[in-house]
Amino acid sequence: MGTENDLTVRDRFQALLGRDDAHLWLFGIGAVVLAVLPFALSTFWTRIALGALMWIGLAQSWNMIGGYAGYLDFGHGAYFGVGAFVTGIVMVELELPFVAGLLIAGVFCAVLAYVVGVPTLRLSGAYFAIATWAFAEAIKELALILEITGGTYGMTFPTGPGTSGIPLVGWPDEMFFYYLMMVLTLGTIALAYFLFEHSEFGFRVKAIRDHEDAAQSLGIDATKIKRRVYVISCVIAALFGGANAYYITFIHPNDVLAPIITDQMIIMALLGGLGTIGGPIIGGVLIFLLNRLSSLFLGNTTIYLPLIGLLIMVTVLFAPSGVIGILRGEVGREDVKQNLRELAEKFDIL
Amino acid sequence: MSADTPQQTSRSEASPPVLRAEGIVTGYGDHEVIHDVDIQSHEGITCLFGPNGSGKSTLLKTLNGIVPIWEGTITYGDVDLSNATPDEIVREGIATVPQGGGVFGTLTVEENLRVGGFTVSEQDAYRRRREEVLDAFPALEDKLGDRASSLSGGQQMMVSLGRAMMTGADTFLLDEPSAGLSPALVEDAFELVERLVDRGARVILIEQNVTAALRLADHVNILVAGELAFDGSPAELSDEEELMEVYLGL
Repeated sequence: MGTENDLTVRDRFQALLGRDDAHLWLFGIGAVVLAVLPFALSTFWTRIALGALMWIGLAQSWNMIGGYAGYLDFGHGAYFGVGAFVTGIVMVELELPFVAGLLIAGVFCAVLAYVVGVPTLRLSGAYFAIATWAFAEAIKELALILEITGGTYGMTFPTGPGTSGIPLVGWPDEMFFYYLMMVLTLGTIALAYFLFEHSEFGFRVKAIRDHEDAAQSLGIDATKIKRRVYVISCVIAALFGGANAYYITFIHPNDVLAPIITDQMIIMALLGGLGTIGGPIIGGVLIFLLNRLSSLFLGNTTIYLPLIGLLIMVTVLFAPSGVIGILRGEVGREDVKQNLRELAEKFDIL
Repeated sequence: MSADTPQQTSRSEASPPVLRAEGIVTGYGDHEVIHDVDIQSHEGITCLFGPNGSGKSTLLKTLNGIVPIWEGTITYGDVDLSNATPDEIVREGIATVPQGGGVFGTLTVEENLRVGGFTVSEQDAYRRRREEVLDAFPALEDKLGDRASSLSGGQQMMVSLGRAMMTGADTFLLDEPSAGLSPALVEDAFELVERLVDRGARVILIEQNVTAALRLADHVNILVAGELAFDGSPAELSDEEELMEVYLGL
């Protein structure tokens, strides 16, 4: 029997998560730390934290449909871009404040996701992945030729006092956007937690992921449940897209509708641990920091894409349940060694 | 199961309603798979045999509402289920166990049972059914916190049947419960099915393992190319040498 002092990090982590109220405590402490963080950081590091928050939220939104429902959505980034453009169009063309633009973008993407979800969610596996990827490509091409999106010239957002539509907020500064992202991200995590980990709805979603026929034969309306998850996850991506667009003030289809947006969400969720609350948080922070640090120290992001590819391979081969799986003890050191040995034998390295 | 088996004496006196499908025509897209088939749930176990591709699973999916019927009627006692959704059919008391059991592997045994009990709104009724499941399959008691995917094939079958029991069903549609099980576990799987019948349920059973299933059958249907080729008792089937040889390989 080991004593308290003999416990490993993993043991302590498992003991902590085993407590009924552990998740609420972690969430509460995390929220307080995030709330005071900008006061301890420089503007540069506040921007880094802001970006990390956004990617945690985006990865969590993808995790809802990809991790919890098991539908590999390769077009999720399209909603990030559409959310950005709808917010911009409302602000530029209708001259409404940012808050109105964001709300309208959310509603627009809910309707769009519902319409897209009706035919695509009838597909599964690679067919669903290809259909959603094709949808995202079509949206990008459409944004490049439409006049209302600015076409190949892109779109510039109105800036300055009064454009946010939030009382008491003057000129939206770094702090405003930091807290905006914090609220959106914490809201997304709380929603995912209660929806997928603590409700009947979550069990239904996981049942459909594990065995759709069996779920249906128990009276679960798989079509309706999948569509709800898809719509919720897409609306969240749209809200982040709108918020990010207002922050960066200029958007172009080749940037906000780029396939790398979806790719990053997927690898973040995959690296952290699919179908878990903690996975996208860990994966989001790690991958975003990798992106920023490779840019900071190497001067460009050229090395970033090969590193991402390598990470995908390593994760899929050695730790399919991600960092969370390692912390939970689902993948041990021996499993990794065994996988390495098998791989080496396969390629005749040893 | 023949009429004189000891199990029948222990069956519940209140028999479930008869699930009756008449003149069923259905298929996928433009392709008609089932052609004017009549089938009903008899007392005990009704076996549905037939060669691969004969439409057995499709017929089962029409009975549980997953595949809509093109023509015909489905009734459960006095209730018309012809256009009912899977959800409505489960609430009427008909549960399906898909091929291989279809456990929700990432969920625990307890969570699997909980998903099965979603149609139960009252907590007392839920607890009662859970007790009934653990009474029927006591081996699950120690496994409630384990992931369903970590269980043996036989234990997974218990989870599937228990989960179906949690819906409160008294008629069960079972699609090859022995599929994927080792020969040693096939008999165990059939023994589990018999436990359902002992508790008063009616079962429609699709099975490729004809020899073993015939030992349980109270009634037999044989489906060939989407048409009903035989409808009778196991004793009557034994007189049909051509059917036994050509379609069942006996």
